Amino acid sequence: MYRGRMERDLKRWVDLGLLPQSSASAMLAEYDARESTFSVGRVLLALAALLLSASLLLLVAANWEALPRLARVGGIVVLIWLFHFLAAYFLGRGAKAVGAALLILGTMSFGAGIALVGQMYHLSGDAADAMLLWFAGACLSAAAFASAAVTTIAACLAWAFLITLFESGGLVPAIESYFWLVPVLAVIVLTLVRYTDAARTRHLAYLLCVAWLGALYVDNPEIWLAIAYFAAGLVAFLLASLPRSPLYGLASEAGSAPSFYSFAVAVVGLVALQSEVGGAWAETALGVGLLALALVGIGLAGARNGAVRYLAYAVFAAEILYLAFETLGSILGTSGFFLISGVVVALVAWLVIRVERRLGRVGEVSQ
Amino acid sequence: MSGALPVARWRNPFVAALVVALLQSAVLGYMIESRASILRNGKDVLLRSAPIDPRDLLRGEYVILSYDISRISPDIIMGGLPADAAKAQLFVRLKQQPDGFWGPVEASFSPLAEAADSIVIRSLPFSYYPSAGAPPLFPNYGIERYYVPEGEGSVLETARSAQALSVNVRVDMEGRAQIRQVSIDGAPVYEEPMY
Repeated sequence: MYRGRMERDLKRWVDLGLLPQSSASAMLAEYDARESTFSVGRVLLALAALLLSASLLLLVAANWEALPRLARVGGIVVLIWLFHFLAAYFLGRGAKAVGAALLILGTMSFGAGIALVGQMYHLSGDAADAMLLWFAGACLSAAAFASAAVTTIAACLAWAFLITLFESGGLVPAIESYFWLVPVLAVIVLTLVRYTDAARTRHLAYLLCVAWLGALYVDNPEIWLAIAYFAAGLVAFLLASLPRSPLYGLASEAGSAPSFYSFAVAVVGLVALQSEVGGAWAETALGVGLLALALVGIGLAGARNGAVRYLAYAVFAAEILYLAFETLGSILGTSGFFLISGVVVALVAWLVIRVERRLGRVGEVSQ
Repeated sequence: MSGALPVARWRNPFVAALVVALLQSAVLGYMIESRASILRNGKDVLLRSAPIDPRDLLRGEYVILSYDISRISPDIIMGGLPADAAKAQLFVRLKQQPDGFWGPVEASFSPLAEAADSIVIRSLPFSYYPSAGAPPLFPNYGIERYYVPEGEGSVLETARSAQALSVNVRVDMEGRAQIRQVSIDGAPVYEEPMY
């Protein structure tokens, strides 16, 4: 983990006499006091809340006849009130971890209530509606309590919504309108992420968008869609990465994620396009396009954004290999395979070393 | 991102708790009432049914029910079929037959008018794809699942061999259906309370 590495580095700097021991201790203490710091206790508490919620959901699923239905509904409603008010009590006293765990329990109880009503009235064919309702309840709680934990639950529910749609057939007319709702859910989650400071949950929302785009393409493997992905991804990448862009400030507040995921979508679009078109010339031209895209990625965002840089390296290396095999592979046979691989990997290594050194120098100059 | 932005909205977490708990309870209450109102105000319809797949019965939890009205012959569809693939809903007019069960007499992709001695039931939205030869349609009505207490699926499975499962449904003015009673050989096995 980052903390372990930092501790080792600080110790080294203290030993070398670069840093007084008091400063090193103060730095570590500051890091440990941060709220976003990973804490085993907090994670275990959240896991305990999830386990308790699972038991609650399974209890509902067991359809236990010993309790009359109305008593079961009443029990769930009591739990909803109890968990939210206990959460408010603990949050008011500053016990944030306990408060977060109780809020998770509250949101899961709401889900159990929805499931219970579905069971009571034998509802069928409404799985997507139920998931959407649960998601809305989670968003309400996340917004009202500014809770990062519940924002994460909401993100998971948005995923569950997408999975429910897959199970009921994907982009079929009956649920098409739901399908177009998925990016809206992602935007809602991203808004909550900003509002509640749930930084890591951001990736769930971006990955939801990427998964959704993938599903859309699987349903419509059309050339225009691949081009649209490439173009939209590139435009979004430029908007997020160019310091002159109006969205640059907003995007850089969100860390490396906006540049990385938009770059990934552009790459996916071009790769899909390459697999879609026929003809050696078109494929080679697109291959060169992918190499250029990788270089653009490194050039524009590589210095500040490690994620984009490594994705660009991977794309560059994979595409060079692909092109080499498409053009030379058939002539050279199996031993040629390793020859080409060796030469290409050496070339890429040389390029990476050059780029890294150059970026390092740029970094020094700009500082 | 600043840490100052959160907490600003709800100074008092108890207000947040009140709002969230109240709205979530209200949603559950609304869901319950919307189904209970069908049971309260709907008209009785007796349907002949059969559990589709005995394996679902043994798996417990719920039984999948198929009805005579789950198969709609294209002959009784009025007003034509959609020309393109689309999200569609089928409205089916049911009439009581001499044996006491209700059966489909007319169906349409647009709402059907009310008429005496008949009831219009509405299917769930489904994906309609035009196909050659007008095959029968298999709409769902939202009454295809019956949740049973753990381990009781086999009670209805015996009915499958007896071929005598009947389901009493209530249908409201909007055509929404709700299971009220499940009977085997005319004897009620499960009766659904309103709440």
